[in-house]
Amino acid sequence: MVANQQELISNYFLEQAKLNASSITENGNENEDLPTELNTINSSGGFLVVSTDKLSVQYTSVNLHGHDVGVIQANYPAPVKQLSYYFEMTVMNAGTKGQIAIGFTNESFKMRRQPGWEANSYGYHGDDGLLYRGNGKGETFGPTFTTGDIVGGGINYTSQEIFFTKNGIVVGTVYKDVKSQLFPTIAVHSQNEEVSVNFGKEPFLFDAKAYDAQERMKQQNIIEKIPLPQNVSYEMVRSYLLHYGYEDTLNVFDMATSNSVPPIRISQQNGFAEQDNTYALSQRKTLRQLIRMGKIDAALGKLRDWYPQIILEDNSPICFLLHSQKFIELVRVGKLEDAVKYGRVELAKFFGLEEYKELVQECVALLAYEEPLKSPVGYLLGESQREVVADAVNAMILSTNPNLKDPLGCLHSQLESLLRQLTACCLEKRSLNGDQGEAFHLHRVLHSGKH
Amino acid sequence: MSIFWVVRQLAHIQESMATSKKVITKEEWEKKLKDVKIRKEDMNKLVMNFLVTEGYVDAAEKFRTESGTEPDIDLATIMDRMAVKKAVQCGNVEDAIEKVNDLNPEILDTNPQLFFHLQQQRMIELIRNGKIEEALEFAQEELAPRGEENQSFLEELERTVALLAFEDVSNCPVGELLDISQRLKTASEVNAAILTSQSHEKDPKLPSLLKMLIWAQNQLDEKAAYPRINDLTSAHLEDPAV
Repeated sequence: MVANQQELISNYFLEQAKLNASSITENGNENEDLPTELNTINSSGGFLVVSTDKLSVQYTSVNLHGHDVGVIQANYPAPVKQLSYYFEMTVMNAGTKGQIAIGFTNESFKMRRQPGWEANSYGYHGDDGLLYRGNGKGETFGPTFTTGDIVGGGINYTSQEIFFTKNGIVVGTVYKDVKSQLFPTIAVHSQNEEVSVNFGKEPFLFDAKAYDAQERMKQQNIIEKIPLPQNVSYEMVRSYLLHYGYEDTLNVFDMATSNSVPPIRISQQNGFAEQDNTYALSQRKTLRQLIRMGKIDAALGKLRDWYPQIILEDNSPICFLLHSQKFIELVRVGKLEDAVKYGRVELAKFFGLEEYKELVQECVALLAYEEPLKSPVGYLLGESQREVVADAVNAMILSTNPNLKDPLGCLHSQLESLLRQLTACCLEKRSLNGDQGEAFHLHRVLHSGKH
Repeated sequence: MSIFWVVRQLAHIQESMATSKKVITKEEWEKKLKDVKIRKEDMNKLVMNFLVTEGYVDAAEKFRTESGTEPDIDLATIMDRMAVKKAVQCGNVEDAIEKVNDLNPEILDTNPQLFFHLQQQRMIELIRNGKIEEALEFAQEELAPRGEENQSFLEELERTVALLAFEDVSNCPVGELLDISQRLKTASEVNAAILTSQSHEKDPKLPSLLKMLIWAQNQLDEKAAYPRINDLTSAHLEDPAV
């Protein structure tokens, strides 16, 4: 076997082991600052008064021309890494002219103009019900609004649209051609106009959660209509079982699919992959069983008989994984002294090596706890750790196949290749969209609730 | 490096500039793929979800032993569900209705459409077996009162009764009702209803994810040229089409 390939395989499975250690929540660095109050520093200060809680404004002067608008942004831009953003305002007093506006503006917005009048801004205006985007000419959009009305502004990052609501109902949407960050913005422009804003501290009148759910459903409905090649799911499951050597499951599955009405014909056109996958199937099954039962010595014995080349070098990564598992099994049954002895002989030599250090240390750390299962390294005693070791051995055996077509093919099954592709496509699309919209997490999709 | 190669690359660059699509090379893409972290545990859950939802109870049992993956539903209930499904598939509709009611009487109580379709299937089976008198009686007593409740039921009822008008049912306009696919349709409807009553998703996640892959690739096509997977079965990564 090529040394390079062995390294590739073992690095892959050391990564998988680390994945087991990491906590289940994969939120990443998605925490964005949320708008919570109005930005009193950057506002057209002369014309309006902001309340002490920074959540309402009042126009106090007499408006003379279009450049004395009392306009104010939120303290942070609308967060983008989610499906949608939404905020609301209540018109407390429409003042003498009711020239109130709600909308979104970018960072360089000129703070003396109505939102929508300037480039890179959108505004829904109360006095005429028009929508302004980027210039002083409004478009027919929705109803006017006045004292007592609750008006909301939202951004849908999936459809790249801005929408507005009046009294809890969407009045219209408009394409969001501005890709940079947008600040929730409100404006007042005649004497005594008064508006209070709600960034989510109070419940919204509009059901933003239902809106998100509806948007997700819309997308899901489009996806569900996409046709799939016949029986492709069956083929994927079958190749998965073959790849990992779940032979008993495979046999029962094959029998069940051929007996079902009508029988499910799984195409065998993929002859090469099939050949790769059936290679050493029953030996791979046996080794997986032994490892899953914690019988590491027996597994090592079988490997010595069947594939001595795999475990020839005692300080190879695959030997390390097997030895560390043996150590873990000793701890599991409480044979701590034996574990210490075994560790000194078989694990100590891996201490100095950077790629193993973490796992060695965590294995040894098991000794420090009275109840290792409940300790921070308790994951090592889990089923998934055994599974990783079994997967690594499985891959090593697959790599000895002289007819192997794709050297990376032994790492994981086609199903995983497809899901990697899916994840990469979703992430790439989002990144080309300025990181706007909901992030795709396979783990979350797989654990999503029952409908 | 041949002239031809240079010319081809230039053409690619030109084309990609014209469409302003981002070009992602195979090397870059493979690195991105490598960075995707997938837990084996999650993969096992996905496969188990498929086996359980599709009703492969024996395979699910074996897979639990071989992979240590716990099914997200009691395996015993799969047996019951599959027995119902099989009864419909074999034309034993009365038996199926009884079994559904044993499982949970609320399923049919709260699902008039499903109940109607089962009754309709029962009538189809009677006609298939040449029990014309019985079929007529059944239509008048059981199906007609329901047809009065609902316009779409009425239409279905009329289509079904039309079977009686033809001597050679296999060659009549509504002959498709006698087709095996009608049984399968009814069987999958009852299967879905049972799953829903067990607060389980009625469809496995795997096909949805595969559809999502096709969708995501199409979406990304609009913005970038990148290595696609066109053949799901082989999962072969194509060269980016520029």
